[in-house]
Amino acid sequence: MPKDAIDTNPLVLRNTFAMGRHPYHPQPTDEDSSSASETDTLLAGVGYTVRSSDLLNVADRLEKLDSTIIAAAAAGVPPEFLCSSAVHYNPSDLASWIDSLLTEVPPQSSPSMWMDAVCLPPPSSFSIDAHRLGEEEDAGIRLVHLLMTCADSIQHDDHVLARSLIDEMRLLLPLIGVGYGIGKVSIFFLDALDRRISFLPQPTKSVLEDEILYSHFYEACPNIKFAHFTANQAILEAFNGCDRVHVIDLSLMHGLQWPALIQALALRPGGPPALRLTGIGPQTPKVGLRLAELARSVGVPFSFHAVAAGRLDSVRVKPGEAVAINSVLQLHLLLSETGPIDSVLTLIRELRPKILTVVEQEADHNKPAFLDRFTEALFYYSTLFDSLAASGGGGGRVDVGCSAPAEVYLQREICNIVCCEGSERVERHEPMGRWRVRLGRAGFEPMHLGSNAFRQASMLLKLFSSEGYGVEEVEGCLSLSWHGRLLITASAWRARADSAVAPPACHRYIVW
Amino acid sequence: MAGGNEVNVNESRMVVPLNTFVLISNFKIAYNMLRRPDGSFDRHLAEFLDRKVQANASPVNGVVSFDHILDRQTNLLARIYCPAPDPADVELPQLVAIYELQKAPSPNPFPVIIFFHGGSFAHSTSSSAIYDTLCRRLVTLCGGAVVISIDYRRSPEYRFPCAYDDGWTALKWASCQPWLRSGKDAKLRVFLAGDSSGGNIAHHVAVRAVHSGINISGNILLNPLFGGNKRTESELKLDGKYFVALQDRDWYWRAFLPEGADRDHPACNPFGPNGVELEGLPFPKTLLVVASLDLTQDWQLAYAEGLKKAGHEVQLLYREQATIGFYFLPNTEHYHEVMKEIKSFVRSDL
Repeated sequence: MPKDAIDTNPLVLRNTFAMGRHPYHPQPTDEDSSSASETDTLLAGVGYTVRSSDLLNVADRLEKLDSTIIAAAAAGVPPEFLCSSAVHYNPSDLASWIDSLLTEVPPQSSPSMWMDAVCLPPPSSFSIDAHRLGEEEDAGIRLVHLLMTCADSIQHDDHVLARSLIDEMRLLLPLIGVGYGIGKVSIFFLDALDRRISFLPQPTKSVLEDEILYSHFYEACPNIKFAHFTANQAILEAFNGCDRVHVIDLSLMHGLQWPALIQALALRPGGPPALRLTGIGPQTPKVGLRLAELARSVGVPFSFHAVAAGRLDSVRVKPGEAVAINSVLQLHLLLSETGPIDSVLTLIRELRPKILTVVEQEADHNKPAFLDRFTEALFYYSTLFDSLAASGGGGGRVDVGCSAPAEVYLQREICNIVCCEGSERVERHEPMGRWRVRLGRAGFEPMHLGSNAFRQASMLLKLFSSEGYGVEEVEGCLSLSWHGRLLITASAWRARADSAVAPPACHRYIVW
Repeated sequence: MAGGNEVNVNESRMVVPLNTFVLISNFKIAYNMLRRPDGSFDRHLAEFLDRKVQANASPVNGVVSFDHILDRQTNLLARIYCPAPDPADVELPQLVAIYELQKAPSPNPFPVIIFFHGGSFAHSTSSSAIYDTLCRRLVTLCGGAVVISIDYRRSPEYRFPCAYDDGWTALKWASCQPWLRSGKDAKLRVFLAGDSSGGNIAHHVAVRAVHSGINISGNILLNPLFGGNKRTESELKLDGKYFVALQDRDWYWRAFLPEGADRDHPACNPFGPNGVELEGLPFPKTLLVVASLDLTQDWQLAYAEGLKKAGHEVQLLYREQATIGFYFLPNTEHYHEVMKEIKSFVRSDL
């Protein structure tokens, strides 16, 4: 291969196993829709949902919109919907998108998330040292084959074969650069497989360690920041016009999400509401005090209430306050066979929230078959590690300090997915499509995050992160993407009006 | 803009199927919102409104796709489409995706199509649903082609020659991939294809290729984007009538061409006063598709003339009563006949 060949290193493998989502599924044949309630299949194949019976109507309204634009141009006055602050929702649903433009509601002076330009140090350009492409690439591909074959043998309970494959893989490792890319992530998966068949107990965790790793991960890449500022934007919009608001955070930790919301509420046109914050779960000492101090300094009436992990049932809401319930990477922890996801969702509904924000990893690590889970995780975490590396950490680069703990943070997730079963396996990530069904069954309906939130997220990403990250809108949810691959999805929900809320049973102690 | 606008809107509705009208009108209106009079572009809203799909390494209708970074320095992304491998050839179904990168899809000669999506240099990406669907169809249509859709840098953020540079990078990348070579002579049978601005890019990458000794099997240009300072008859006659207005075309050229350049810049007008001589060079044969209701058709026909005068082979498909974008939905004779011609063009000397 010529010396100046464009890079084709084994990292590309992580792109080859895209996570099988094809929301706008091209139809196999160009059939006409037979029933009026069916959507036009050809338009669906290019991303638009329009009922066949609606086509004529939609075409008429498009013509009307077009005439409006032409007439306005002639008069020298652009119509409202052409102005940049107009907010758009769910562009796939053409009929409703067009209607929203035609009804020409004047754009709300939407409050926007205001963040300090807290920038990471400028990311150093990530370059892969020239390496012997052929040999290393082959070794990398071979390693992935072996990993999957090993996972397959474990699924068939052939631990003898699994053990010999692990030994073989350890011999391959020196041939691959393990400081980056597929090599690095393969080591973690190899170790996890080894651990699984050696029946080693999981390393003990301390809450302090968790908190430290979490805060390193928070700094090292934009994933959690994305979760926070997207959820905050939705909460801010939901709280529009409310004087007394109550945010319930299902996992407070360091409370990193809340200073920005407090500041945005302080700057709200019309003045800030009174804010109550209930933080559930492990939290750093004095987090409540620090947030209260911040709120006081910007003039937001504030009170804080800490609740022990798993005690969502002990949270009380006051009449007349608007409630937002915030779940960042929490709900998937409740999905084991005996897990309390249904009762937790019921509890959440009973609190009658104005908005429920749910952010989850965009991956399917809860498939029943071990090999499937393993494969999905291998490619998902390859992508994540790749993105971490480009964010200024990673590789064998010891000069950038904060990547290693961030990788350990992820390594723990990998271990949990690969080594654990039953109630111990808590990292049961599911893609937003499945959450949509689950939340729908639990009586929630989606609140679409619109173009305003999209714009905010895009701009903030540019501030915080290196090239390669993007925001994608899919069915009203916003996802963080890395080179087009979705990593994490933010969504907002409210209780459906028609859904009955069962009377609360006697106190349930939710374990999580 | 031409007068009698209400009549104009109805005319475009009468010449295309209803769902095509809905699709292209939607683009027209959405794109209108994105172009600002000062030449800037609402990129955030554009990305929000663009309907995109993920790559999918699981076969869908016999095609798999994956995203790949061709060049780390510019973060040039491409989506690669391959025919799905025979499951019998693969030990574990999950290994399907990995095999695709290692193995050529077939022992027999197969075409490689480097595809540049349209969007007047400003809109769309390789993950846009309209283009993902089109590229998937091309894989099957051409009997198992590998299609590489390039996510080139777009204007106004990146002007000439960035898109051409990205196209060139993609071609060089392809020429270094052993798995893309096929046949007894282990040859890269590469075609450059594109619609609208993508067609323009395909032309300019081909020019660079012939100057650098890379052999291109053929160019496929669907309603390629060319222009010039002069206002042609078709531009004046069709202005505003079939989804496209002249002032919008002007906006896109101003956004793409270097500041201060006019439309006789060779990027826009390759056979104009500033054009480059192509006579005597091994320029590939071209399949040129022109829609009779496209207001830029005079420039496309002039392009065909320019190629012929320079001694190069052009197969012109002039589609009466076709509008722009007819190739997005398989619901007209235009679509089916053009696809047939593309198929025979690509397979003719395999």
